[in-house]
Amino acid sequence: MLEGLRAAATGMTAQQKRMDALSNDIANVNTTGYKHERTSFRDLVASQAGPGGAAGVRAGAGAAAESIGRGWAQGALQTTGRPLDVAIQGAGFLQVRLPDGRTALTRDGALQIDARGRVATSDGALVQPPVTVPQGMSSDELTIASDGTLLAQGRPLGRLPLAAVASPHALDDAGNGRYLTNAGSGAARAAGRDTTIAQGALEMSNVDLGDAMVDLMAAQRGFQMASQAVRTQDQMLSIANGIKQ
Amino acid sequence: MQRGLYIAASGMMAEQVRQDLIAHDLANASTAGYKADRATTRSFGDLLLQDTSSGAAVGPLGLGAQIATQTTDLTPGPLRTTGEPLDFAVEGDGFFAVRGPNGTRYTRDGQFRVSADGTLVTARGDEVLGPNGQPVRVGAAGNVAAGQIGVVALDAARREGDSLYTGTPRAGGAAGTVRQGALEGSAVDAITTMVAMLGSLRAFEAGQRVITTIDSTLAKSTNQVGGI
Repeated sequence: MLEGLRAAATGMTAQQKRMDALSNDIANVNTTGYKHERTSFRDLVASQAGPGGAAGVRAGAGAAAESIGRGWAQGALQTTGRPLDVAIQGAGFLQVRLPDGRTALTRDGALQIDARGRVATSDGALVQPPVTVPQGMSSDELTIASDGTLLAQGRPLGRLPLAAVASPHALDDAGNGRYLTNAGSGAARAAGRDTTIAQGALEMSNVDLGDAMVDLMAAQRGFQMASQAVRTQDQMLSIANGIKQ
Repeated sequence: MQRGLYIAASGMMAEQVRQDLIAHDLANASTAGYKADRATTRSFGDLLLQDTSSGAAVGPLGLGAQIATQTTDLTPGPLRTTGEPLDFAVEGDGFFAVRGPNGTRYTRDGQFRVSADGTLVTARGDEVLGPNGQPVRVGAAGNVAAGQIGVVALDAARREGDSLYTGTPRAGGAAGTVRQGALEGSAVDAITTMVAMLGSLRAFEAGQRVITTIDSTLAKSTNQVGGI
């Protein structure tokens, strides 16, 4: 009796989830290294319909949406000319140390030199393994080669090794554009040779604002349609109630 | 007279089922590769009414309605370009074959990802199969070519839920081609579905009116006829 009501309501919940993901994408349209979220919809298990259907007529239970990680398509590079801005081209991540000691992966390459001369991200997480720039050296004297080697006036100081995982879709989100490996993603390993670093550039967000807005509109309309189905089901219950005057 | 009550009620129950199918369709307006259902109503067998005094035939009387068959309309839906390297769509007929815990199933939803052991899997984690029936390996840079993914033409495709279908693969059947960076949109047509929803609601309402009318006739015959 109430199956249809529930089926329609699941459609609203699913669209809501998609709208959440899209709002997050739109909010991060200018976030360096941001990757858009992927939302997957599926229809729910069908079972024998109520007494008004012959044997074999099966009504589905609605829809469900879930996040299936991020779309890792390359973002456009924006040239900044800043020597400590690096952009990763290809599948790979920089490794940084979180305040709690864990190593996280990030594609946000806006680096800086902290007060003790160590290379860190803009919010102070140190790159792994640590690289220290000699005291008094300006960042303009640093060059970063495409394999991540950090050179000061031609002399190597250290390297920013790029890491990759087997399944980037399964990475855990640690916030601030950082990701943590888990059993589903596989352990971090060295990235392939075709993954390179570009100095003096940043990777922009891979969210296409136009697509995201259109998807948001579609999600809103989908939500409305499902809510109309809820209203209709409610009306039918009210009509059925009206049988007994 | 009471027969009419049950006939009208059966019509309402059939419309209830139709609404359940419509609600499911509308809930899946954004499900990639979703196919809408078509429900057909059938009347139960007719009775031949006869005049009890003369024995002359009066005519047939239907005994109510029920949703008899439901067919999934497998017409390919519109393709939407997403630019996502792991989104795939079947252009034309056919299904992706996937292997999950219950064996091989078929789907039109090509929103895939990579598993930890480097194979292509569906959003739910089922392995996507290649043309040779083996799982598809993903390259080191996370790239898959459209030709690595198999497309199977199906006979007797039947919806199972979770965007999966069961069916019998058609040997040598012409199947569609795989397109990368695109997803097949839901085949739910908003306008026809909303119109069907309205029509079914009014049919339901009409059934209720029939019942209330018969009820008031019964009330008259019990309360007023007896009161003469």
